[in-house]
Amino acid sequence: MFRSPKSGALTVAFLCFASPALVAGPLGIGETATPEMIAGWDIDIRPDGRGLPPGEGSVADGEGLYEAKCASCHGLFGEGAGRWPILAGGEGTLDTAHPEKTVGSYWPYASTLWDYIHRAMPYPAPQSLTDDEVYAITAYVLYLNDIVEDDFVLNQETFQEVKMPNEPNFYIDDRPDVVNTRCMSQCADASTFEIVTTINGVTPTAHFKEDSGVAANHYGNEAATAEATKVALSDAAVAGKSIYAKACNVCHGAGVAGAPVTGDAAAWSERIAQGMATLNKHAIEGYVGKNGVMPAKGGNMALADEEVANAVAFMVESSQ
Amino acid sequence: MTKLFEPSLPKLMEALATEAQGLKGMDRRNFLKGGIAAVAGLASVQIIPKANAQPNLPPNIPEWQTYLGRGVVAKPYGEPSEFEDLQRRTVPWLTADAQSSISMTPLQDLEGIITPSGLVFERYHGGIPNVNPEQHRLIIHGLVERPIVLSMDDLRRFPSVSEIRFIECPANGGMEWRGAQMEAVQFTHGMLSCCEWTGVKLSTLLAEVGVKPEGQWILAEGADAAGMSRSIPMEKALDDALVVWGQNGEALRPEQGYPVRLLLPGWEGNTSVKWLRRLEIGDQPWHHREETSKYTDLMPDGRARRFTWVQECNSVITSPCPEKPLRHRGFLEIQGLAWSGKGKIKAVDVSFDGGVNWQRAELKGLVLDKALTRFSLQTQWNGEPWLLQSRAIDETGYVQPTLKQLRDLRGGWSIYHKNSIHTWNVTEKGEVYNVQIT
Repeated sequence: MFRSPKSGALTVAFLCFASPALVAGPLGIGETATPEMIAGWDIDIRPDGRGLPPGEGSVADGEGLYEAKCASCHGLFGEGAGRWPILAGGEGTLDTAHPEKTVGSYWPYASTLWDYIHRAMPYPAPQSLTDDEVYAITAYVLYLNDIVEDDFVLNQETFQEVKMPNEPNFYIDDRPDVVNTRCMSQCADASTFEIVTTINGVTPTAHFKEDSGVAANHYGNEAATAEATKVALSDAAVAGKSIYAKACNVCHGAGVAGAPVTGDAAAWSERIAQGMATLNKHAIEGYVGKNGVMPAKGGNMALADEEVANAVAFMVESSQ
Repeated sequence: MTKLFEPSLPKLMEALATEAQGLKGMDRRNFLKGGIAAVAGLASVQIIPKANAQPNLPPNIPEWQTYLGRGVVAKPYGEPSEFEDLQRRTVPWLTADAQSSISMTPLQDLEGIITPSGLVFERYHGGIPNVNPEQHRLIIHGLVERPIVLSMDDLRRFPSVSEIRFIECPANGGMEWRGAQMEAVQFTHGMLSCCEWTGVKLSTLLAEVGVKPEGQWILAEGADAAGMSRSIPMEKALDDALVVWGQNGEALRPEQGYPVRLLLPGWEGNTSVKWLRRLEIGDQPWHHREETSKYTDLMPDGRARRFTWVQECNSVITSPCPEKPLRHRGFLEIQGLAWSGKGKIKAVDVSFDGGVNWQRAELKGLVLDKALTRFSLQTQWNGEPWLLQSRAIDETGYVQPTLKQLRDLRGGWSIYHKNSIHTWNVTEKGEVYNVQIT
């Protein structure tokens, strides 16, 4: 038995060990989040404008920014390229057989546009835009939807004037809306049944074949890329591979916006013939060609020129 | 008796044209080519007999018994047998790229109710971030007494719970709203998984920061490239919401939000924000992109429902299914999965005649709140054609609706929350086709 000259103190200590008190309030875990920490991460914007930072941008400023950073996926007029989202148009279609949900026809709040562009766009380089750039691009997308005039300048004050036409048409979930009953016999008239089958050709079925021995690869372009990378790559191209995956594959993997698909020798031969200097210049500074738009550095301005050149080397060497 | 016929030519061409409008370039050409080929005659699934495996069958000694096998830790983290083909799969024409896309769980290949972590369906809005847990932080701030920042080490100090819950993308079945499209249960119902999740109750974290009385909403935000964000009402946060770091006995997989995610049991998967970095308490919702532009349900009158959070009661037969046709006459155990975002499954019924008559199925194994529940019906199949359906009823008394009931109310363009009774057409040969009864 443990002995102490101060037996009273021993009793108290022993009780604490035997029965730790359950804490009703905070457990005291974690550190205080400082205003500086919170300011760095608190990026959300609300419909009432709460969260909008100082700054501004005009429709005119937004036009150039949009064409350089957004049009390659969303189209010059917001019409969308490939399967990328359509941003403009679609008014009056929501109750038809072909509803087109765009910023103008569907989105209930303009704050959502600012918030989303700021947090997630451009798609390959999120949170790379300055606040003024976000204001300008937001203003331009609103202009593409005829929600503001061509001389509009968006800032904290003018934001309050913007009203989205479809706002009144949203309502809170009112399910359950269907009431089925648990009938057990003679619940339907089979003579009225029309049995509709599927449209063949839309289901990926590669994996249905037995003994194929090959894993189903649903991304044909990835297979092409894998095949292409079997050739010996230069040091620059090896260095460029991860940059490619991060910044270029979004368009050059699938051929979005006229981008030549990596590994497609036919699509690249004419371009390669222009020389690496020209290809690098176009990739770094941006380029508008007859087939589509190459945003400067793929829209990822944080990349160094050399990194872009390495990625170009990877694409070129993988496509010869 | 039921008359089975294919859609008329003009109707099929119209459906093709409608679908093709959403596709461009090669996608569209391939689609139309496939579709037009289909008009000429419906292709059938070929059942190829397995290669002759007699050398290993009795009375012969199997080849693998004649030498030593692999030793311990040859594969320190094990993997399925090379003879298994367990894979998440996607429908490539559905999305523009693989970073903002979805893959489906192979429900046809699974047993019991737990989805192995590597087969849980994927849904990303900006790819999987490669989060270093040492450098990951969760900030809780806004209308609170004590804003805090938590490391993963801090989070694990809170009292934890482990619960089995399903997660379902609200777009599960969404490709089938306007007509039957997918000849595979993996694609009609595979945006659905069920795991054991381990973490802390969100209510515990909220007690830690002390929510001010005006705090009624929480913004949950991810650390991915999309900064995925959703507004969560305080009522759900205090009810059964969890902040989880464990999945099926180990750390979350990167695909499921490593190192920490929100889990809102029974609610559309998108609200269970992955790679959770921030919870802000506020007095009103934020109406962010994934709760306005997306994850809202367009109704036939052009108006739209918002905050459609609950995944209502649903079920599907997973055996047989298009991937698992009937190969034997005689005894047959029909199996499937049922689930409800509102609680436990109370009962499941099965119909062989397209919903005219129903029989009660048996619930197998664990029947848990907001978890997948496996059902079974033992029967005989002797080559008769079936229009096979399942219908689930949850503990609130809600009965899974027919497709007609859903379409009559919601039209064909709401994308999300299609939980109607599903029909498999089993032919005399035992082939299984996805059909819709209209």
